[in-house]
Amino acid sequence: MAMSQQTSTRLTRGVGAVALVVLIVWTVAPLYWMVVTSLKVNSEIYGEQVTLWPLKPTLDNYRVLFEETNFLIYFRNSVIVAVVTTMLSLVCAALGAYALTRLNFPGRRFFARALVYTYLMPSSLLFIPLLIIIRGVGLQNTLEGLVFSYLGFTVPFCTWLLMGYFMSIPIELEESAMVDGCGRLGVLFRIVIPLTVPALAVVAFFSFTLAWNEFIYASVLVSDLSVRTIPTGIPNFIVEDVFFWGPMMASTLISAVPPLVVYFLFQRFLITGLTLGAVKG
Amino acid sequence: MSEATTTLVPTAAPRQPSFWEFVSNDVRTLAFLFLLPTTVVLTCVVLYPFTYALLLSFEDKTAGVPSRFIGLQNYIELLSDREFIEIFYNTVWYTVVAVGIKFLIGLASALVLNQPRRFNNIYRTILFIPWAIPTVIASLIWLWVYNEFNGLLNIVLLRAGILDNGIAWLAEPKWAMWSVIAVVVWSGTPFYTMHFLAGLQSIPKELYEAAEIDGAATLHKFWHVTIPSLKAVFTITVMLSTVFTSTSIVVVNILTNGAPANLTQILPNESYGVAIEAGRMGLGSAINMTLFPFLVVFIVFLTRRMLRKDGT
Repeated sequence: MAMSQQTSTRLTRGVGAVALVVLIVWTVAPLYWMVVTSLKVNSEIYGEQVTLWPLKPTLDNYRVLFEETNFLIYFRNSVIVAVVTTMLSLVCAALGAYALTRLNFPGRRFFARALVYTYLMPSSLLFIPLLIIIRGVGLQNTLEGLVFSYLGFTVPFCTWLLMGYFMSIPIELEESAMVDGCGRLGVLFRIVIPLTVPALAVVAFFSFTLAWNEFIYASVLVSDLSVRTIPTGIPNFIVEDVFFWGPMMASTLISAVPPLVVYFLFQRFLITGLTLGAVKG
Repeated sequence: MSEATTTLVPTAAPRQPSFWEFVSNDVRTLAFLFLLPTTVVLTCVVLYPFTYALLLSFEDKTAGVPSRFIGLQNYIELLSDREFIEIFYNTVWYTVVAVGIKFLIGLASALVLNQPRRFNNIYRTILFIPWAIPTVIASLIWLWVYNEFNGLLNIVLLRAGILDNGIAWLAEPKWAMWSVIAVVVWSGTPFYTMHFLAGLQSIPKELYEAAEIDGAATLHKFWHVTIPSLKAVFTITVMLSTVFTSTSIVVVNILTNGAPANLTQILPNESYGVAIEAGRMGLGSAINMTLFPFLVVFIVFLTRRMLRKDGT
């Protein structure tokens, strides 16, 4: 053998450390640029004197964003859409997953399969007819139309994820509760749901970020400025004003905060939750 | 005394079960009720639109005008259009390259994060950040990073003396597609890292110990223990990512919208332009449907995989 076990381990550690530095720079650099741009004055953002670090830090870009743009409207719309989508997804998914894991009925396997098919159905195949349908029922340019369309992504995935968790709860717990006179609904709300709080957190995060990020449906189904959400609202700032990168970066920073905060707080749950499916296979 | 009270109970008249009690004890009715909201939602916003999209692709449907069945004419129009063939080729190339790079960087990241190291939790948290950042936001940030005159990339390259003149990353035919792919990679790699890291951590330690007893070197262990153990994770991650990468329009739409000269155009974004901006909904649907036969292979495989261990 050319190398001893120890040298080889030390070598891989060294290579690993270098790779780690490169990966961190690659990940952080654009974010760094966003943060510093949002804090710079225009003379440091454009032209000859572009700085890599704000010499005269200012919050003026944030003032412009809040006072001179529709950003607050977009933000409010996004919050409404994301919160309502999350709540409806939780209800549909919890009921559906319970039925698919605990209730024996004909067509159960078929239903579970159909659910996964719908989850994997790419939205690019659906947005054209969806526009015709949503327009037909009068929900174009409404937040309700967006929420309803987003349930098409969130419900299948959330149900599938919860099915995995529900199955990990020993059925004996539920059986003994039913012997004690607890009804099906009692079992669901008093036993199954309290035991799957971490899974519900994952499901809630998934639905929230999906509704918060969604772009295609939002740009197809909504054209009124007053009904736009963040993803379709803020790209318009570029068209409106040439020197808008300061407030633009302020808006991207603020828009990235809600999902980032949730991610920092719950990362352990989220990562195990979302990788569950793949690693199981 | 206690015996007397207990015997009293059965003598009470049996209470008629209420409607709700009846429903909640009949398993089939209950299952129907529990699945009703999901069924309604999925029928309205997934199944019906999908069928509709398929029909539309055989119709001459322009916004505001009644549709007309025209058979395969949309598809014939597409296949005889050189531009469409180029965009199709772009889409395949873009997907394969983006998925390939995400795979390699994701694997490298996972291997690095799996090494014992102080503050590893912090490094992991940092590397996963792009996953939590909305793709639209990521695209806008990168649009600014790529700015020809004031963007970070050109400034750094100019000041380091690597370039004499700034490059218009998104307008230069040579660089445009690579610049788009870089953003797709930036925001999509954590998905791979996450799966691969979880996969690495579930490899039994004994496998490595056994290899060490046999005197295996690090590289040998990597090829003969790590890679084979990750095969299942590789397959499912790559397939999921292929479906979502090839059909996502966000990055292309925000960064270039297909420019320069359709060099960065991909099918879903082309169909967006044709159907929504130009109003040719039938043709737009046909454009998307041309990808479907390829996607369906992945979708069917993934569905089997995702349900396999779920007992249903």
